[in-house]
Amino acid sequence: MSALVRKDCCVLWKQMRIFLVVILFIAVFNGAFGNVFIVVWASMMPFTAMAYDERSKWDQLAAMMPYSVRDIVLSKYVLGWLCMGAAALASLAIQGILTAVHAPMASLDPVGNLLGLCASACVLAITLPIMFRFGVERGRLVMFLMIFLVCGSAGAVSSIAVEIGDGLLHVPALVLAGLFIAALASTAVSLPLSMKMYRKRTY
Amino acid sequence: MNAIELSHINKSFGGFAIQDLCLTVPSGTICGLVGENGAGKSTTIRLLMNALRPDSGTAQVLGVDVTSPEFQAVKEDVGVVLDEAYFPEVLNAAQVGRIMAGTYRRWDAALYQDYLRRFGLPEKKSFKDYSRGMQMKLAIAVALSHQPKLLVLDEATAGLDPIVRDEVLDIFNEFTREEDHSILISSHILSDLEKLCDYIAFLHQGKLLFCDEKDQLLETYGIFTDSSEQLDCLMPEAIVAREANGYGGVRALVRRNLAPSGFQLERPSVEDIILFLVKGAKEA
Repeated sequence: MSALVRKDCCVLWKQMRIFLVVILFIAVFNGAFGNVFIVVWASMMPFTAMAYDERSKWDQLAAMMPYSVRDIVLSKYVLGWLCMGAAALASLAIQGILTAVHAPMASLDPVGNLLGLCASACVLAITLPIMFRFGVERGRLVMFLMIFLVCGSAGAVSSIAVEIGDGLLHVPALVLAGLFIAALASTAVSLPLSMKMYRKRTY
Repeated sequence: MNAIELSHINKSFGGFAIQDLCLTVPSGTICGLVGENGAGKSTTIRLLMNALRPDSGTAQVLGVDVTSPEFQAVKEDVGVVLDEAYFPEVLNAAQVGRIMAGTYRRWDAALYQDYLRRFGLPEKKSFKDYSRGMQMKLAIAVALSHQPKLLVLDEATAGLDPIVRDEVLDIFNEFTREEDHSILISSHILSDLEKLCDYIAFLHQGKLLFCDEKDQLLETYGIFTDSSEQLDCLMPEAIVAREANGYGGVRALVRRNLAPSGFQLERPSVEDIILFLVKGAKEA
């Protein structure tokens, strides 16, 4: 499976360079919202990797190689988690530096990052089975729907969150815990479902 | 042991179907899979690699049922080249090598480097900037660099210039010097198959019309070239198919065992046999 993740990283590297610049920009200038947004955006990198796979018909070649369905499916989840983790860390690091130098746009918000990670894990868990079943082209519609829902949910969470100054949000612990459990549960359901969908599509 | 054994495979796609396909490739031999576009060659390859599930029938590769969990390990012993090299276009040969090193347990990096040099493939150039011939050469280099016992080649020599094609055919011949090494190769270039193969399997509209030893096939048929009246002296069952030869006479594929002794027949090429068989099947 590591070979597949490596392959996706090589394929995405060009895009990732642009992504890093955008992360830098959003993390610096968009405060708490930016922290959540970039992590959610990072969770969509596996879709780009899948689009490249479809375009080059890599999946046809992969079916001939000693990769199991589990390897192929899990590699996309791992790629998503890696991208999300890296984006959260990058955003934290940038905000940490800005806070340390007392920059006016500083908004170090680890809770916001955690919120973003949980929301992103949910997005990944819901969209990947659909992508595996219908392919990226048709699955894209669902992705847009997901972005809409995530934005709506973010609005809902912010309405029950309390502003604690400097643009930072205090999210009730119960909401955060609920989102964390939702991320774990949806991933646990999503993985076997994706494998089933992938088999259906292949055979 | 047989390298490949397909038994009564059926697979329907609506407008097209593989019907009762039985194909055996003995270990240590090279089998050429021949057929028109859409005859089912690529589908057969996908079925035998378990990339496609048959509606019925069984497939075994290197003695293992392709639907069993053990087949995953058997794939280590199978080198596959499809009709196009489906590597992501932004990768280069060096990156492909590193990815394959993590894919195959017996990946031989030195051998891969050797093939890259032999085929004149630049390591740092993106796959998308390779010519079609170079892309196919990269796919062949990958297929040969993990010490496979079976090569499955789907139009692997298409797009290669005659000199490289000849070199690649020599490599395939070299590969089968090991007695447990086998090849299944599909190609439209019948002269390549005649040069390379021990067996010829002919697929037509999803049905396997024959799978015979090449030498036996060449002995079974003969080419008749003379007047139409002389050809009509033969019993109809002896004539597989006929065509006008352009000089007022006819050219026909004839079954030697049904022609009278002394009847003048030339030795056919595999291409002659296949072309006449397709023509005969269409006329039937």
